[in-house]
Amino acid sequence: MKFAAAVILFSLASYAQGNHSADDIVWLDNYQTALKQSRATGKPIFLEYRCEP
Amino acid sequence: MLSPLESPLGKQLRNYACVRITRMDNVDIGLFEYDRNNTLYFFLMNADEQIYMRYGGRDGRSPDSYLNLDSLALAAAKGLELHRQYLGGALAKTARPKPISPLDYPMLVERTIKAHACVECHLIGDYQNLHREKDGTLDKLVHLFRSPDIRSLGIELDVPKGLVVKEVSGPAQSAGMRAGDRIATWEGDTVWTFADLQHRYDKVPRTAKTVRVTVERDGAMKELTAALPVLWWRTDTRYRQSSIEPRSYFEDRVLTAEEKAKLGLRADGFASFVKYVSSMAQSVGAHDLKVGDIIVSVDGKDRDENADTASLYIVLHKTPGDLATMEVLRDGKRISMPLKTIRMSFRK
Repeated sequence: MKFAAAVILFSLASYAQGNHSADDIVWLDNYQTALKQSRATGKPIFLEYRCEP
Repeated sequence: MLSPLESPLGKQLRNYACVRITRMDNVDIGLFEYDRNNTLYFFLMNADEQIYMRYGGRDGRSPDSYLNLDSLALAAAKGLELHRQYLGGALAKTARPKPISPLDYPMLVERTIKAHACVECHLIGDYQNLHREKDGTLDKLVHLFRSPDIRSLGIELDVPKGLVVKEVSGPAQSAGMRAGDRIATWEGDTVWTFADLQHRYDKVPRTAKTVRVTVERDGAMKELTAALPVLWWRTDTRYRQSSIEPRSYFEDRVLTAEEKAKLGLRADGFASFVKYVSSMAQSVGAHDLKVGDIIVSVDGKDRDENADTASLYIVLHKTPGDLATMEVLRDGKRISMPLKTIRMSFRK
């Protein structure tokens, strides 16, 4: 399942690279929080359903 | 080498609020309706819960037949464009589907949520079907055979490019589709990704004879109508075994016209050649089939408009636990053989 592993890399890279800035990708784990963040920032939502990595 | 954050997809994702959900306990499965046997599934949407597109979809070949980082980056870019249109009022709001909670399914609650077990995606689909079976609303052609395969229409996509057609043959070619076309609508609905297409294809009534498709070619839209092949809705269900019941623990294949003629069997019947028998068959007392047997009929029926094999006839017409009698050809002799169909233990 190469694709699943590749997508996980995005979240690992987000944390591993440290020095988080506003441009970094932060993966939330709560849908309601994502809705709030989307309202606050005006960003759309990228929602992923998957089994526990 | 690009790090993920500097890749095309990484750059797009910075413009999103990203969320990953790994348990289905509190998910609105009415809004987020999809084939639960997908390994991964994505929704690109906004805070008003308007879904711009889906990303995912699969077939029997592999969980990631249609998953690709390039096409996901394309989808993410398109999602941003649609979001700008929505914020600018250029995109019409659609009615929100009726909310459905996993808590609406008592057996799912009893056996997973209360047991503190993981509520996996496929369990949602499995228990929905179990409840449908109990209340008489299970439509096996729709609920068991989900996500029709576009390859039966002769469509091979250039997966990294999204819905661009790589090769075309069969009904799609006869309808006028060409390699290089981009599929833009399916049965009248806009589709941006393979997941959009497969989800819309899944909603086509199983009795349909044609499907309407719009393709973009050289900057212009072209309407096509493709004839749906016989049993177009039937898919390879081996990757969703726990969702398909009753179990009968054998696999069979369609007999050729020549084989049927040689054996004196009706040409339009579902007589089938047994090519595999699971050791489970004997241990659960399902039947005494052997590889090489030919199943001629089940409970006296040898033809069905929706089944071209005996195993498909059993899935479509029997409820787990049903007893039946098969007529079997073995070593040139016709024998009558009992069949006990099985419900998987976790669903009892």
